[in-house]
Amino acid sequence: MRALIAAVIGLAAAFALVLVVTAIGASPGETSPEPLLTTVPEHP
Amino acid sequence: MRRKAGLVLLAFAVFFTAMSPLMRWYAFPRLAKIPPGQYQDAVLEAKNPTLIDYATMTAKKIDKVTIVQTLKGNVEASEKIEESTDRDVVVWDALSYVEDDKGRPVSKIPERYIFDAHSQEPVHAAGESVDGDPVRRQGLEFKWPFLTEKRDYEYFDAQARVTKPIHYKGTRTFRGMEVYYFEQTIPWTKVPFPKVMPVKGITAASLAETGTTRWYTTVRKFWVEPATGAPVYGEEIQKNELRGGTLLGDRDRLTVFEGHVKMRDDYIESTVDLVKSQRVLVLLLTSYLPWGCLGLGLLLLALSLWLEARGRGRGGPGPTASSDPEPEPATA
Repeated sequence: MRALIAAVIGLAAAFALVLVVTAIGASPGETSPEPLLTTVPEHP
Repeated sequence: MRRKAGLVLLAFAVFFTAMSPLMRWYAFPRLAKIPPGQYQDAVLEAKNPTLIDYATMTAKKIDKVTIVQTLKGNVEASEKIEESTDRDVVVWDALSYVEDDKGRPVSKIPERYIFDAHSQEPVHAAGESVDGDPVRRQGLEFKWPFLTEKRDYEYFDAQARVTKPIHYKGTRTFRGMEVYYFEQTIPWTKVPFPKVMPVKGITAASLAETGTTRWYTTVRKFWVEPATGAPVYGEEIQKNELRGGTLLGDRDRLTVFEGHVKMRDDYIESTVDLVKSQRVLVLLLTSYLPWGCLGLGLLLLALSLWLEARGRGRGGPGPTASSDPEPEPATA
């Protein structure tokens, strides 16, 4: 019974961590202020 | 005490073992996406191409034509489209600016490309366009999906506004990286004139009135890093012609552009560096962490079973057994 509880705790922790990380995701950021180029850049 | 340690190890074993498939098949598809605010430029060059001179209506060999391609993620536009589509959407405002060897503009083609941030499938929404004309893209453009497969894909050609297969032609090594090589051929196709022409007074409408038409063919080549789906190098062997109409006089065709376009070397290096760094992140979620977690999980499981077996071998469960008096050794 204790082994089963330990396994359930481990499984629940894994699900919780993955769900939280994917729910948070990444910030969308902002549109770059850089223009669409109409000159040839010297370097990248 | 040993029994408790065994249970803790078992919990961790299950945790890490479960993390392995969860990371690969749940987290990765949701976390791997193109950021909506990405900004990227690339410079390509065609050495010794043939280019039309609209002032004299003749085709000439020149030293070089340079193409500057900019992709700019429009975060506000993507958020607006996401409200109605319930998907993570990226809106790229792109510009292909072409100039000749004297720095004079040859053409300027803007595009708006809207696609799913995870799968790179096109998303159809207002504003999707090429050179101001509304289009409805099918297939890929600019980038392949994450975990690119060894198969043919559909690729959208912005000049011809058509989607044709781009064929997987094998695995190559490019600057120390394993890449998939893809090739697409667009046969001679009638295409619209660019909205902005390099000579004042000549417009797409005035050219069309002469009955002259513009035709285009290209062989497009991409070397794609499969984990990220990002092209690390590209080439095009392109031909553009004017055909028929009063504009050409007694000629039936005139070359607008003919050249072999290749990415400039410094941009290859920066692209390769960028893709290498992104590749590690993709492999972390698809390979390194899932396999590492699985290995660790199995190791911890084995350790917990070993502890349990040792505990039982010494006379039953640890904590309860430890409170019982030790059995007296038998004497003869």
